[in-house]
Amino acid sequence: MNLKQSMQRRLRGHADETDVNLTAVMNIFLILIPFLLLTATFMRIAVLELTLPSVDRSNRQATAQKPQSVVLNILQIDEDGFKLNSPNLKFAKVAKANDEFNWATLTDQLERVKEKYPDTEDIIISPADAIRYKTIITVMDHCREAGFPNISISG
Amino acid sequence: MILENQTATFNLRAGKKSTRGTFALRLTSMIDMFTILLVFLLKSYSADGQIMTVAPDLRLPESTSQAKPPVVSVIALTREWILVDGRPVQRLDEIKDDNKLLIPSLQSELTRLRQITEGIGKLSQEMRGFSGSIAIQGDQDTTFDLLKRIMLTCGRVGYNDMNLAVIEKE
Repeated sequence: MNLKQSMQRRLRGHADETDVNLTAVMNIFLILIPFLLLTATFMRIAVLELTLPSVDRSNRQATAQKPQSVVLNILQIDEDGFKLNSPNLKFAKVAKANDEFNWATLTDQLERVKEKYPDTEDIIISPADAIRYKTIITVMDHCREAGFPNISISG
Repeated sequence: MILENQTATFNLRAGKKSTRGTFALRLTSMIDMFTILLVFLLKSYSADGQIMTVAPDLRLPESTSQAKPPVVSVIALTREWILVDGRPVQRLDEIKDDNKLLIPSLQSELTRLRQITEGIGKLSQEMRGFSGSIAIQGDQDTTFDLLKRIMLTCGRVGYNDMNLAVIEKE
């Protein structure tokens, strides 16, 4: 009872005494918000860099300068699923489940390759003809996240 | 009597402010909203605007990549056309059934583009000449066989460094 009264008195007193002057804040808001709304970009474009496994001279020099053993990881994708080929590692073909690729298994397998060959950063993606562009992009994302940023695509 | 009662309730509702003769707007909820809006807009603010424009009639795929698009020529792959820097070069249904990998019209257009950039590079040291990089905007439902042909054609002309345009995922 006593507490309630004092609370009420405090609340009432509060409303009486403090009256924050918000004019300046409102002015800032009114200027900043239209400005930011005008310059806002809601769709940002990024790029994925891709190098051809080509016979280009600069590429060949770059690989020749790296004496370490080249690990050839090839990821084949077709309509039924994907299969990762890595030297000395055997992976079975991972089939699609419910029309979706099994991304968790892909990440898992890529991590095992990474454990075996920590230095390697190259992977070759070899999709079948009917694979859609967005699938390829998603595969590239998973490869990059698993630590294989040098992605090549081979037909 | 009724009138009196009404005035009484009105006075009660208006509170003590009405005796002062001025209004005090209740801005709290508005400021809450503004603050949220401001934080959101500041978060999505980027000082360098859009460098690359996306061709109409295509939807780019989403990716987690955050690399900024470079200033290079763009091959756009819409559902019906291949565009180079916005100029239509080849209808897709015309080349769908030939069994070659190379796309001749795209090759000649890219060769022309390469000659132009090389010419610019020769004119002055400050100009960027031919760098061998090109950006590809593909519709997200494009199949790989078409993409492969585009890439092969680019590689044949000398554009080996390709940037696949994507939409940044949150």
